[in-house]
This record gives sequence, C-alpha cells and structure tokens, in this order.
Amino acid sequence: RLPRRYVLCEVVSEDPRCRQCIEDRAVGLAVREAIGRVHGDYGLACCSISFTVKYLNAYTGTVLLRCRKDCYRLLCSALPFVRQLESRNQRYPCSLNTLHVGGTIRTCQKFLIQYNRRQLLMLLQNCTNEEERRCVQKSLLSCSLTEEVSQSGDEEDDDGTE
Amino acid sequence: RGLEGRMARAEPPAAIFERRVLRSAAEHHYLRVRLELPDGGARPSVAQFKQLVVSALRELHGEVGAALPVDVLTYEEKTLSAILRVISSGLVKLWSALTLLGFYQNRRCAFRVLQTSPFLLALSGNSRELVLD
Repeated sequence: RLPRRYVLCEVVSEDPRCRQCIEDRAVGLAVREAIGRVHGDYGLACCSISFTVKYLNAYTGTVLLRCRKDCYRLLCSALPFVRQLESRNQRYPCSLNTLHVGGTIRTCQKFLIQYNRRQLLMLLQNCTNEEERRCVQKSLLSCSLTEEVSQSGDEEDDDGTE
Repeated sequence: RGLEGRMARAEPPAAIFERRVLRSAAEHHYLRVRLELPDGGARPSVAQFKQLVVSALRELHGEVGAALPVDVLTYEEKTLSAILRVISSGLVKLWSALTLLGFYQNRRCAFRVLQTSPFLLALSGNSRELVLD
C-alpha cells in the first residue's frame, strides 16, 4: 500500500476563456513544467512517479492532484509558480490556489463540499441585482438530497447535483 | 535489585554529569574540488567557474538549488582546483550537482571532489599528496 497525498487547488484567472483550457493534460503539463523549473531534474523525476490529475471541474476551476507522500512538499511549493495553461495552441495566464492537502480522496471530497457551500453563500451575499439573486436562489433550492441505500449505519448524504 | 545489600553499604553520592552530542553542528561544509577538462582549451576564470557551479545546481535542483548559498573561497586557474563553501543543509545538493555535471561550453568535463570537511583547517593537509623525503 503506497502512501499518497491529494492536493486540492483551484484555478484563478482573470480571463474567462481560460476555463476551456482546464483539462487534465494541460493542467498536468503546466504543473510538471513548474516543478521542473523550480526543483530541477531531481524534483521533476521525484514527483512524476505517482503524479496524476485525479479530478477536474472546469466550471468551478477545481483540480485534484495526486502525488506520493514523500514529495508532496516539492509539489506544493511549485504550485504558485504555475503561470499559464496551454491547450490547443492557446495559452492563458492563470494561477493556482491551494485549498487543501489530504491523505485520501474522501477527506478532500468532504472539504470540497464544505468549501462549495461557503462559496455559494458568499455568492449570494455578493449579488448586485435582484435578477442574479433570484438565479442563485433557484439553483440553490434545486439541489436535491439523495438518500443513499447504505448497509452500515451512519452514512453522510451527499449534496446532490453540482 | 539488591537493595538490601546497597542500603547496608554507604553509597557515595552519584556524580551529576550531562553529555551533549552534537551531530553536524557546523554551519558550513567545505569542499576541495578539481575540474577536469581533458581537451586543452581555454580555462574558465573564477567568475565563469562560479557560474558553472550555479548552472549545475540549477540543472539538477532547479531555481531552489541555484539559490543555495555557495561561495568559491579560492580558485587556481592553472590547476583548476577550488575550495567551495556551502551551507551544511545544501551539501548533498551541491555534491550531487557537481557529480552529474558533464559539459562546460559543449566541452566534456568532470568534477573531482578531493576533500570535504566541516572545518576549513582540515583542508589544508592531504595525506594522499604527502611527499615523504
């Protein structure tokens, strides 16, 4: 059993067209290039052993990266040096914010659920006009709780549609 | 354990002493290195030598490695040997970068590390090059 670390980060960009660049190959290449620049050949080889992009959400800009436990510090210290995402011959400037580092996907998922809840509340507060407010409220209310058929007793219900 | 016997005899008071072991307490490590350039071309000056060391660090350990505080304390252009000083925590990075350096301006080269010590005084003598009359 190999110990792993999962790093949850979000892509922050001023250019709205950057969203279409958020795909696993582009993000993986950008992170690897940043590690190569900051930590050299040794860091790149060390971190690439078990490195993948596990999960991506282009709408919210959330990215979940996986690496080995021995080198997660190299990875985390190189994330602020990612400057741009490139895909299909188009590059857009962006930056990566680290949200959470966890040992399993489940802890990262728990954190992401709470974080998204807080973000939705902040979105509601920052609405400037009534139209936006109604849109946000409608999408909040349309989230449904799905009852999971679980064998063991207490199982946390996921917030339904994202 | 044998308390009855001990209490019968008078015990001298136990001496209080403290032992401190410091491992790798020195701040800097010193390396005596020699650059081997087998082709008889132009020899690097001291600034070019330092640039070579920093570029070796940058290749293997990236920008973080290139920012390691390395000093060239002495340099002899004739024999291409030098004494480098590095922070102790960076010794492994520096030594590995020097080992894996292969080219200087597209010429084959190699670094030989002759001596290393946390004390500069230890580099003044080398029993391998000792000449006994």
